[in-house]
Amino acid sequence: MTHGTNRNRTVSAEGVARVEGEGSLRVVVHDGTVSEVSLDIFEPPRYFEAMLIGRHYSEAPDITARICGICPVAYQLTACAAMEDALGIVVSDRVQVLRRLLYCGEWIQSHALHVYLLHAPDFLKCQDAVELAERQPSVIERGLALKRTGNLIMETVGGRAVHPVNVRVGGFYSAPEPEAIAALTAPLERALDDALATVQWVAGFDFPAVTGAYRFVALRQDGRYAIDSGRPGSSDGLDVTPQRFAELSVEEHVARSTALHARLDGRSYLTGPLARYALSGSLLPEVVRDAARKAGLGETCANPFQSIVVRALEIAFACHEALRLVAQYEPPVPAADLGITRAGVGTGVTEAPRGLLLHQYEIDGDGNIVRARITPPTSQNQLTIEEDLRRVVEGGLELDDDDLQWRCEQAVRNHDPCISCAAHFLDVVVEHA
Amino acid sequence: MSPLDIVVAGLGSTYRGDDAVGPMVAALFAGVHDDVRDVGPLAEPLDLLGRFDGADLAVVIDAVRSGAPIGTVQVMDIDVAHVNDDGTVEPAVTSTHGIGLVGVLRVARAIDRAPRRLVVVAVEGEAFELGSSMSAAVQAAVPEAFLAVARLIESEQLCA
Repeated sequence: MTHGTNRNRTVSAEGVARVEGEGSLRVVVHDGTVSEVSLDIFEPPRYFEAMLIGRHYSEAPDITARICGICPVAYQLTACAAMEDALGIVVSDRVQVLRRLLYCGEWIQSHALHVYLLHAPDFLKCQDAVELAERQPSVIERGLALKRTGNLIMETVGGRAVHPVNVRVGGFYSAPEPEAIAALTAPLERALDDALATVQWVAGFDFPAVTGAYRFVALRQDGRYAIDSGRPGSSDGLDVTPQRFAELSVEEHVARSTALHARLDGRSYLTGPLARYALSGSLLPEVVRDAARKAGLGETCANPFQSIVVRALEIAFACHEALRLVAQYEPPVPAADLGITRAGVGTGVTEAPRGLLLHQYEIDGDGNIVRARITPPTSQNQLTIEEDLRRVVEGGLELDDDDLQWRCEQAVRNHDPCISCAAHFLDVVVEHA
Repeated sequence: MSPLDIVVAGLGSTYRGDDAVGPMVAALFAGVHDDVRDVGPLAEPLDLLGRFDGADLAVVIDAVRSGAPIGTVQVMDIDVAHVNDDGTVEPAVTSTHGIGLVGVLRVARAIDRAPRRLVVVAVEGEAFELGSSMSAAVQAAVPEAFLAVARLIESEQLCA
């Protein structure tokens, strides 16, 4: 809903569609200046952190996986990393390979879902994926084929695609047979071609000329594009351990929202594809970097609307990386490295499709959880999304109400927010005072 | 006779009280019939894409709130070829990722991957809070929901 004159307006969206979860957006323009931007989240708080208290550490991966149906692997593997840190478990290289392969599957299916079914309709002026499917069925076919390949990896490694059942602290319940992993090669080769075609497709969209002043934060890992582990780093020189990052990233309650808002050193920051690309883009394989160049991207992309291009590049990267991992797969023996139960505090960080995910747990001598902290990407990105909205509205005051609301919603979807994970959603209201 | 492809899908969260009834009933069919695939607990209708493609019969079991007495089991045959042709079904505003069952069916139809027949077995629920237990009335409805799905499978096999 939008009302007012061009200099004084209120834009509100109550129930922003095509994001995960529920929330609303309100923008107030007074005398040509944006005076208020708020992304209000009102999905009931998810009491997962409280639910975990008193549960055994081994239950954390399966319980936290239920926070999100789109990125359960991120929750599982981050919980594993935190528990392994607490217990002093160092997993084998073979377990790491299998975990990274599983995570590639989740990146492929999650990014394909967002690019094709949630974000692309914005650029093509389709109301939703249904309209896009009816207008361009072959395009949607390609997107769903990509998603199927991601799901196939998750089923092969994780036992099933939604909420995998094969992940445990220390590794896996059982190691897939080499033949089952090798069978992923042909679908992944087709998926890599489809992903590169996706980059070419989305690079041709019209992007509003918006440049964000971002403080990018992502994991960095020596010699490779971080997914399943790494050290938190930033575009302004931060390079810290996960434990130190947990200290620096402070979450605060905001009355209008049931999600926490995170600041790093008191400042907003951005995690996710744009951050990963800015910090580790040089580590992408040549075929993906070549696709980035042809898509017109430089070393850094600060136009949030072009995040769809970066997300497509990451699909291609995940396919390429998965092929590499499949080729070197050897079953881990044993399938899991089990430690000795002891009291401790552990911190885990991984790169969920939407950005950096942090888990921190304290466990007692019996292995029961006494404290849990889960900081999802959306709560870390929320302040930056509001800053984006301010820029988008200030640059779009000439737009009529419907187009301005459309662009505001698009600006939120640029960051693929997962309000379910953070609620800890979206209605848009632009109010011209 | 070529084998049938029957998909049984339970929608819902096993951590949200009555919402668990879909996955619970679907799991009862895992491995029972050669023709039947239990596609696991699905978080949302979108997850049906790629899983019910071209099936002879897709049965979706889900908890609903329609105003009927708690525990009521309703069997709804969906008109796959014409569902929402008149656009009367509004998209669910607060649905996760915004695509409900009708939207998913329309996407599947647009790319020629819709199941031949889609039936929803709906169980009226009341308790959906995170961490809540399944209500007694919904627990008592599980056998009826199971029998409803079994009858659908049997009739499909008899007609094949």
